Amino acid sequence: MDDADRQALRDFSAGRMTALELRRRLNGATFGDVLILLGAEDLPLPRASTVGREARIERARAWMFPKNVARS
Amino acid sequence: MSRALKLFVVDTGPLITLAAAESLDYLLCVEVDVVIPDAVLYEAAHDASRLGAQEIMDWVKAHRAHVEIAPTKTYEIFDAARATIPNLREPELGERAAVEVIEEPGRLEGDERGLLLCEETTVLKRVVVRDRDRIVELSTLDFLTILEAERRIQSADQVFAAAARAGRSASRVRKVDGHDAATRAAIASLVKRRDGE
Repeated sequence: MDDADRQALRDFSAGRMTALELRRRLNGATFGDVLILLGAEDLPLPRASTVGREARIERARAWMFPKNVARS
Repeated sequence: MSRALKLFVVDTGPLITLAAAESLDYLLCVEVDVVIPDAVLYEAAHDASRLGAQEIMDWVKAHRAHVEIAPTKTYEIFDAARATIPNLREPELGERAAVEVIEEPGRLEGDERGLLLCEETTVLKRVVVRDRDRIVELSTLDFLTILEAERRIQSADQVFAAAARAGRSASRVRKVDGHDAATRAAIASLVKRRDGE
């Protein structure tokens, strides 16, 4: 893995690159390969920000647990 | 299998992350029918030496009552082509199959609703979601965070940490793709079972 690949991994980990773009860049690596490469570089999995998606996530929660949400 | 909420797993990321963290059962913490496009399952599990692959296939087989492997033309054509080109690689096979399944007419009937579980917003950009009121897309972390808020799991962060640990400890030596044919046969039988119901 060269420096450009490592930078791509860092960009993915920071949420600046999608997994699909990264997998293409790494010659069709699977998501499992990506997990292994992240581990090798001691990088965390990306965490998508929920900003702007709060209502959507709350709607999903209400569908998943309708009784609980109705009670609260 | 006919619950009012369908959980469509539209790329391999959620399956592999949860398998690596030994947490695939979390998909069944909710009263949902899980729908996995055949090509997504193939990409996630075709090489049993890959991280999470065997766990995913075993989990699907163990939970057939609530997991549908959705057949697609995309995978059918790919599988047929493999007969003459054994080493054929199809970039974005799973993503294209997922788009096909999501856009399939009649996938959501009556009051049914759908959650799209994915890591890739790029998949969703290709989808013309016909009914935004009935379909919501979620990342793996969104899904786990909801389970944590509902006290169905201890911690979403712990799951991600476990997946990262699995990545660090997994073998970096690629093995021979020796299980591809068996996986393709297993997928075919799982799809046929659903058709036969």
